[in-house]
Amino acid sequence: MNTDASRNDLVKRGNSTLGVAAVLLAAGALLGALLGALALFEAFAVTDAVAGLSIARWFGVLLAGLGVALLGVGATSRAGLVRSEPDRTAGPVAGVAFSLVGLVIGGLLASQTLGFGTLWPIGALIVGAVALLLTVYPRGDLGATLPSGLLSLFTGIVVATGVIAPGWSWSPIPGSFTLPGDIAVPLLAIVVGFLVAWMAARAYGGFGTQGKQASAYLLVSASAAGMLALLVVLVSYIVVRGWAPMTEGVKWGLFWANWTYFYVPPIHRYVVIDGPVLWFHWPFVMNGHALLNDVNGIMPAIVGTVWLVLGAIVFAVPLGVGAAVFLTEYAGQSRFTQLVEVSTNGLWSTPSIVYGLFGWAFLVPRLGNGFSILSGQLVLGFMLLPLVIITSREALTSVPNAYRDASAALGVGKWETIKSVVLPAAMPGVTTGIILGIGRIAGETAPILLVAAGSPFPSDAPNVLTSFQLSATPPFVTNDALLQATSALPYQLYAVITAGVNKNAGLAWGTALVLLLVVLSFYAIGIASRIYFRKRLEA
Amino acid sequence: MSDSSTTETAEDEQPTTTTTTAGETVEEVQDEWIEYDFDGPAKFSATDLNVWYGDDHALHDITIDIPENSVTALIGPSGCGKSTFLRCLNRMNDRIKAARVEGSVELDGEEIYQEGVDLVELRKRVGQVFQSPNPFPKSIRDNIAYGPRKHGDINTGLLARLLGGDDREREEELVERCLRGAALWEEVSDRLDDNALGLSGGQQQRLCIARALAVDPEVILMDEPASALDPIATSKIEDLVEDLAEEYTVVIVTHNMQQAARISDQTAVFLTGGHLVEYGDTDQIFENPQSQRVEDYITGKFG
Repeated sequence: MNTDASRNDLVKRGNSTLGVAAVLLAAGALLGALLGALALFEAFAVTDAVAGLSIARWFGVLLAGLGVALLGVGATSRAGLVRSEPDRTAGPVAGVAFSLVGLVIGGLLASQTLGFGTLWPIGALIVGAVALLLTVYPRGDLGATLPSGLLSLFTGIVVATGVIAPGWSWSPIPGSFTLPGDIAVPLLAIVVGFLVAWMAARAYGGFGTQGKQASAYLLVSASAAGMLALLVVLVSYIVVRGWAPMTEGVKWGLFWANWTYFYVPPIHRYVVIDGPVLWFHWPFVMNGHALLNDVNGIMPAIVGTVWLVLGAIVFAVPLGVGAAVFLTEYAGQSRFTQLVEVSTNGLWSTPSIVYGLFGWAFLVPRLGNGFSILSGQLVLGFMLLPLVIITSREALTSVPNAYRDASAALGVGKWETIKSVVLPAAMPGVTTGIILGIGRIAGETAPILLVAAGSPFPSDAPNVLTSFQLSATPPFVTNDALLQATSALPYQLYAVITAGVNKNAGLAWGTALVLLLVVLSFYAIGIASRIYFRKRLEA
Repeated sequence: MSDSSTTETAEDEQPTTTTTTAGETVEEVQDEWIEYDFDGPAKFSATDLNVWYGDDHALHDITIDIPENSVTALIGPSGCGKSTFLRCLNRMNDRIKAARVEGSVELDGEEIYQEGVDLVELRKRVGQVFQSPNPFPKSIRDNIAYGPRKHGDINTGLLARLLGGDDREREEELVERCLRGAALWEEVSDRLDDNALGLSGGQQQRLCIARALAVDPEVILMDEPASALDPIATSKIEDLVEDLAEEYTVVIVTHNMQQAARISDQTAVFLTGGHLVEYGDTDQIFENPQSQRVEDYITGKFG
């Protein structure tokens, strides 16, 4: 059996030349892809010249170099000059991937360069079939490196010689879609860079099972990194653009005032202070919209969003948790609970504009006959309800039955058991559901537009806290502020953007950043309470 | 090898009569021990107890008297119905939807399977310790005080504190008494406010025993309480069971025949199919069983 040629060494010592070359190759390819991504997000211009050559052409040089290196790696492995353990073929997945790339390139070449006209599928099929054959037919090491190396070399030459350059553009659908060269070059660098890195990872593992392992690891970690990068880009995009408008005019300092007074808007009072005063003025989040303001702010919208979300929570959480307790602990598995489950899931996937329409037609005429915070709170509460039910049910079912048995064996009744053992154990899960739900409703625009929206740029915030009034007749407690329309952050953002005034872009970005911060602070509260509930359960 | 075949009699179409190689039927054997005589009153007496899980007839015509202040072991192979029988004694079977119980179980001469039985009161009198330790994810103190607090025997809530009816001292006493009763006080007295899940498995099981003691039961049912524990923790539980029998009636299910022989005063042997095959003094069951099947089971030839 030892004569079996495909048997590999049990112990591998030291870094093989192949491994080192493959790591360098993969690093170069990923660097190319990263630079491409940066260029795509305008971190630098591809037209800039570095060492006498435009960056676009440097991309071409890099890709061509990668292609040559990859071909070299494959060839030395095939010739047996380095130790590798290739499979008989590079496999169907790589085959399909490269034949698709080949189809695209062949089609483009046939129609754009060679002028085949409507016969372009012939070119596409020929190149695609060649790529498939090149990948699948040769031994694993050659099959993995040949198509990707040729592709990289070809693209590199095309870009480096300036055939595809920043000035170049391509309009497959004239008048509606144009791919300019300064986007095409980075895109090519990203796509080809990833293909080369994928195959370099195979080379790193010696092309065999180990190679597939390494390339799979590269692909999944690249997905994770890409996801993270997308998030970072998204958030930093908003922070970079929103920071300046948000912090405009911020002033603060510590003063020793022996008789200073200032106006506190929420209580409409002047407060007199005799002593040290920490003075803090943040106009964008403390001002409303008025002519005489130093900086126009969005305080009414922030307060509106906070009240809307708080009201929705107060409405939906007790109702949702109660329903979940009933469904999980009291109603056994039956047609009824299945029906409720299906309709809960349906409610959760119902588009928010439908909720808004319902609120507009049903709630608004019945609650003060006008757009109001209360209607908004209820509609957002309706939207939050199904998620609270779904996640609470999951949390309740995951509480071990051993707790219920232990409690019952002590002679404790069902409701007492639920209250003292089951619900506390389920609280972390319930809180997670509420956190997720807040993320959704805080950013909702459509229902607010239909049931709660007043002026998008009011000068004053709704005075919900100070408007509670007791009366001797039903309903005993009234709150005028709850029955007034309000602004809210997503609604204001929508209003700014659709107003179409470009000079207000700063206001929009600042509003977006504040909305992000408001949602994040709700998250922070939720996560802190989840940690608190979990701490109580853990040793 | 013994051949333990089962024949069905046509009388009531129920496989209640089992023949052993010795040719004796269960009925005959029962004649030997149904008169099993013990000093003192019976705590439990079950008569013709049958249990079904759906269509599965899990217990057949169990008739047994369990004496007060002693340890009764229920042994037998897996699936023989010994745990099912145990759960009949505090009606925990009611919590299983598919379970149906027929027959009679009397606790101190009072039928527990009749209309109007207060399950809360029954389970306060008949406590249970489960197979795997299941303390609540609360502090050690809260675990023990849980039952009495819920029954209103001890009140440490905010309202009680405001009204001056705070029972905290009584709670302290209760916690200490129960932990001492479960031989756990020495190990945990300095960390009563720590979460019970931080204890070792054996400590958790003794905490569960202490928790059961806290509601002041008369009977403690134990369903293989040591099967998830290591030998040292097991021997602590066994010592504890013997101590408990001075004050409480203990009914313990176990897989482990040595354990049954060590700690129990009388032993009931259940065999496959949910039949109670033999019941008597532990010494007699292990040294001189009446039934061939029981002897085969005890000597490890079967089961």
